[in-house]
Amino acid sequence: MNCSFTDLEENTLIAKDALSNGEVPVGCLLVHQNQVIGRGRNQVNQSKNATRHAEMVAVDQLLDWCRHRNRDVRAVCERTALYVTVEPCVMCTAALRLLHVPVVVFGCRNERFGGCGSVLDVASADLPRTGTKFKVCEGHRSDEAIQMLKTFYKQENPNGDQTHTHTHTHTHTHCVHICVLCTFLFPHLFISLFLLPFFLHFDSFSLFFNRVPSFLCLSSFFLLFSFL
Amino acid sequence: MEPQRKRRKGSACDTDSWVAYPVLSDEQSQDVELIEAFAAPIVDKKETSRLVRELNGLYPMITLQHIKRVRACKEEGSPHPLEVLVCLVSDAHGQEKMVSIDSLLPSDFRRDGLGEPFVVKVPARPPLTRPQFEIASKHWPLAFHEDKQVTVALKGELFSPLQKAKMHMYMTTALTAAKAGREGGMEAVGAVAVDPAMDRIIAVSHDCRGKHPLHHAVMVCIDLVARSQGGGCYSYDQYPACHFSSPSSNPFENTSEGEPAFQPYICTGYDLYVTREPCVMCAMALVHSRIGRVFYGTTSADGALGTKYKLHTQKDLNHRFEVYRGLLSKQCEDLNGLEDHFEKEHLKE
Repeated sequence: MNCSFTDLEENTLIAKDALSNGEVPVGCLLVHQNQVIGRGRNQVNQSKNATRHAEMVAVDQLLDWCRHRNRDVRAVCERTALYVTVEPCVMCTAALRLLHVPVVVFGCRNERFGGCGSVLDVASADLPRTGTKFKVCEGHRSDEAIQMLKTFYKQENPNGDQTHTHTHTHTHTHCVHICVLCTFLFPHLFISLFLLPFFLHFDSFSLFFNRVPSFLCLSSFFLLFSFL
Repeated sequence: MEPQRKRRKGSACDTDSWVAYPVLSDEQSQDVELIEAFAAPIVDKKETSRLVRELNGLYPMITLQHIKRVRACKEEGSPHPLEVLVCLVSDAHGQEKMVSIDSLLPSDFRRDGLGEPFVVKVPARPPLTRPQFEIASKHWPLAFHEDKQVTVALKGELFSPLQKAKMHMYMTTALTAAKAGREGGMEAVGAVAVDPAMDRIIAVSHDCRGKHPLHHAVMVCIDLVARSQGGGCYSYDQYPACHFSSPSSNPFENTSEGEPAFQPYICTGYDLYVTREPCVMCAMALVHSRIGRVFYGTTSADGALGTKYKLHTQKDLNHRFEVYRGLLSKQCEDLNGLEDHFEKEHLKE
């Protein structure tokens, strides 16, 4: 069985962590033969390393997974898909190429840093020494997802500029974080449904959570969680 | 650190062996683009100011603000002293290239002092560098707001001998690290992060792809900088040539003026020295890390700071920085040369 109760519990812990850390709301999964072998969320502020994007964190888990099972990294990566809420940035796109990941599914475009067509198209560029090109599937109804990222970026980065005071718009933060929560929960849904586009659910959830106060979001989320 | 200090003394005099050239944006380095326009001789000099004023009103040429409307005639003994731009060929709708002045101007325009038009080529964009200006101004006179630093940098004269000696030392450190990486069976690439304000090495790294396929030298260096600030994700204990120096040992931190201690934020304000041009992943990692400047030795086939992309000048990205290439280019090329050799051997097998 791919997901157990402890897996779910672990997801909730990671998601709770995301909630309390104010990172950019991106969550991702690396799925190898219907099994999640890497999951990640941004850890940039936490690690003081601006390259700790969700994808890079998930890749580290994939490498650990391969190491523990003594599997060849390249062979595993070549049969692994990445599911991520936001288009991977230029750096992550190049990293996924270097690892020979063949498919990337994402929700909304990333107009600021996107490497799969938004800023540059590194995913299908002719770069013979930078791994293999990969296929990109854009998620449905990306408008709402874009809106959420924009909402997040309206806040100030607590580490970015130390001369400004740090003000959060709490409802928005939580709404955005709920999306991370959702992403961490949904693998189990989409695995059971043969990786049915989870973005559909993701979007309807975000629409719902955008309209209720954040504490209600949380409690309803946990209700839903226990229900599952 | 002892061997590096020795090296510094020995190599400081070799700084004449290399030149640091700036890696400029496409706009700054592209050829001068020309577009066709109609010019006409001003036969009567006294009419010049009126003609310029009225032509500006009729054909404002908004996209060509850098072009001077009037030029003095080049040839000695020319029948007319001045020439004026009437309009762009594209502005004169449906006109052949052989036109009369009457067809370009409305009937109520006073043609006094204006001769018959002819086609000239004028620079389509404002010049951004002195070489662009020198080529463009041969076609038609134009205004140039010179960036003196770029002019000096393009000549390879931006850095003083003292600065070059320091740069030489940092790149030598990167070369030493690259060789250590190669001895460990990894690619011969080395990187050094420097705080130029303090003249201090923050982190030294080499390629660590043996254990992790994404641990390129630059990625390792960025993580070591994070570790110097109390963050970071990895341990590089098995690679003694990869190290960082913690800011806690910094004597400048406790400033006597009672200023708040300077908090370093990722790679803001730092310089990175790397033996070869970073790949797309590493170059974007440097954008994310807000690097101050990047210096590299040689170009690389898929490089993203000049060869395939110029991420440091990419308009859509939120951080831009200066990049210089050519530092100890010979020594850095030798590293790559060895690598190509290994690659060929590998292919043969």
